[in-house]
Amino acid sequence: MLLLLLTMAAAVAAATPTADTILCRADRAVLGESAAYTLQMTVVRPGKPDRVVEMKGWKKGDALGLVRYTAPAKERGTAYLRNGANTWLYLPSAEKVVRVGAKQNFGGGDFSNADIFRLSLVNDYVPTLAGEEAWDGQPCYRLDLKAKDRTVAYDRVVYRVRSDGTFFPVHAEYYTISGRRLKWLTLGEVARMGGRARPTRLTMESALEQGSRTVLRFLAIDDDVTLDDRMFTPSALERGQ
Amino acid sequence: MALGTAALVLGGGLSDGIARQLTASLVAVQTGHLQVVVRPADFEPQNSPFDAYGHALLPGGEALARRIAAEAKGQGVRRAVPYLYGRGTAIAGNRSSLASIVGILPSEEPELRAAHPADTGAFLPADDPLATYVAAPAARKLRLAVGDSVSFVIQTPRGAVNSVDAVVCGVFRKGAPWYDATFYVPLAAAQALFDRPGAATNIKMTLAEGSSAAARRARPAVAAIVGAPEGLEPGERARVETFEEAGRFSFSIIQANESALAVLSAFLFLAAAVGIVNSMLMSVHERTREIGTVRALGMRRAMVVRLFILEGLALGVVAATAGIVLGAAGVLYYGAHGIPMNTMTLAWVAGGDRLFPVLTPAHVARAALAIAGLSTAAAVYPALTASRLEPREALHHI
Repeated sequence: MLLLLLTMAAAVAAATPTADTILCRADRAVLGESAAYTLQMTVVRPGKPDRVVEMKGWKKGDALGLVRYTAPAKERGTAYLRNGANTWLYLPSAEKVVRVGAKQNFGGGDFSNADIFRLSLVNDYVPTLAGEEAWDGQPCYRLDLKAKDRTVAYDRVVYRVRSDGTFFPVHAEYYTISGRRLKWLTLGEVARMGGRARPTRLTMESALEQGSRTVLRFLAIDDDVTLDDRMFTPSALERGQ
Repeated sequence: MALGTAALVLGGGLSDGIARQLTASLVAVQTGHLQVVVRPADFEPQNSPFDAYGHALLPGGEALARRIAAEAKGQGVRRAVPYLYGRGTAIAGNRSSLASIVGILPSEEPELRAAHPADTGAFLPADDPLATYVAAPAARKLRLAVGDSVSFVIQTPRGAVNSVDAVVCGVFRKGAPWYDATFYVPLAAAQALFDRPGAATNIKMTLAEGSSAAARRARPAVAAIVGAPEGLEPGERARVETFEEAGRFSFSIIQANESALAVLSAFLFLAAAVGIVNSMLMSVHERTREIGTVRALGMRRAMVVRLFILEGLALGVVAATAGIVLGAAGVLYYGAHGIPMNTMTLAWVAGGDRLFPVLTPAHVARAALAIAGLSTAAAVYPALTASRLEPREALHHI
């Protein structure tokens, strides 16, 4: 009997991964360690026409990221670079590279530069498995992420990750130090892209502007591409390489 | 000449009014007569009214202010008040706006209270940690009224995002445009919002004597108390600045106005001088026979010169008196009612949406003396011309 109980307990333990494991798996659910992708960003503002921008992006690990606008024509060439803790913006009209804050908004939308380039929550947060719940009709793990220190933009994140074995993140709520829900991200439209299924649509909404939202839709993704570190430098950003 | 004097008095009144408004607002709201502020090593003023605010935190600023107040009394420091300034977003309902959030100690800010009088509601109460006192333009933009809730969201200096909710206790009258987005909150609430208990960005000192000389005199003693505070970021240092140094933006406007007034005065003097010389020469021409007669009766050349110079002086005194009455009346009228500064540019130049000219005795005296002196000086050439007339020729002049 005791043996049976121990076997059952072990089975349950094996079935419920740890918070760290869930977070690590969810972190890689959208983009792999290194990736090249094509993205469409739609910024929705009440009473204004939607602004649609297309861009190509590259990431290498958690420290290096680059995004270049490809459309519309008037914004083509605008580029953002993340290298470690620094973020730069290149404006082709001014032919100038300027350093921008990680918390400034990305391309006039509801994502911050950190939201776009900080693709790993593992480095910044300590996760706790707060339970399991259904979200949008799907069984999910509910992770409570607490920032490791006060340099991280959002002090707390409530993160919901599918518990059906895919570990696809479905929803994230970002909180201020005082506990106010500031932004929330919804991930959906799971599609096969770059050889595997993954969420391809990320919608960020913000309490700062009700009725506003920004939608990022992946149009193509290639995981595990080989990228040269030299393309993630401000000089390469300026040269358009 | 009378109109020229009136224009000078009025121009001086406008210039003094702007100087007084900008200085009073700067001292009352931002810098006091002397301030302690943390500046990065590479700090370069942007010639903006926001230069006066500290953009880096002074850890333990609140305690340091108490020390300065206690220890610098003998140096003429009447009050040393900490405040914390930061930028963020204010949200009310589905509206949001950029906000200048200023944490203050309400009971120690009588000058600020006078500079930002309430339009509706009341000034920030000393005992309500969740109240906010809002500039009228910001309240209008967010459709806020007394009793409404507003949330502030900021990025703390360390990087995290934080927020706090407050209830509007009052809406203050629009002043200088750079205060349009200001929300005053209690210092403790601002410190919690910026996640730095006990910190401040500025320590504002009010001196018993409010001159820049007094501020310069008190500075070494205050600097000795401040020393090198602990906890500053690398490259930052605490500076003690007089209101003139901290408020370069305001003083550059004042200087520009004074320069414009000087140019205007120069043109007025030139026009008046030409007018006086011309009319006096005409007078000499019309009175040639008269001059000939008095010269034939034995009047000396020097006496003729004196006669015409005295006439110029009399003309100047009469014109200056009339001009002063006219100009002073204008300054007093507009000083009481204010001149609307309806465009953004005018409001920035005047430091408010109304300009109240000031009648300064020194300015009036200067205008009167200048006009009388000019009139006298301008009479010299016609007087010399008159004195050179030969009595025989002058008597035959038709």
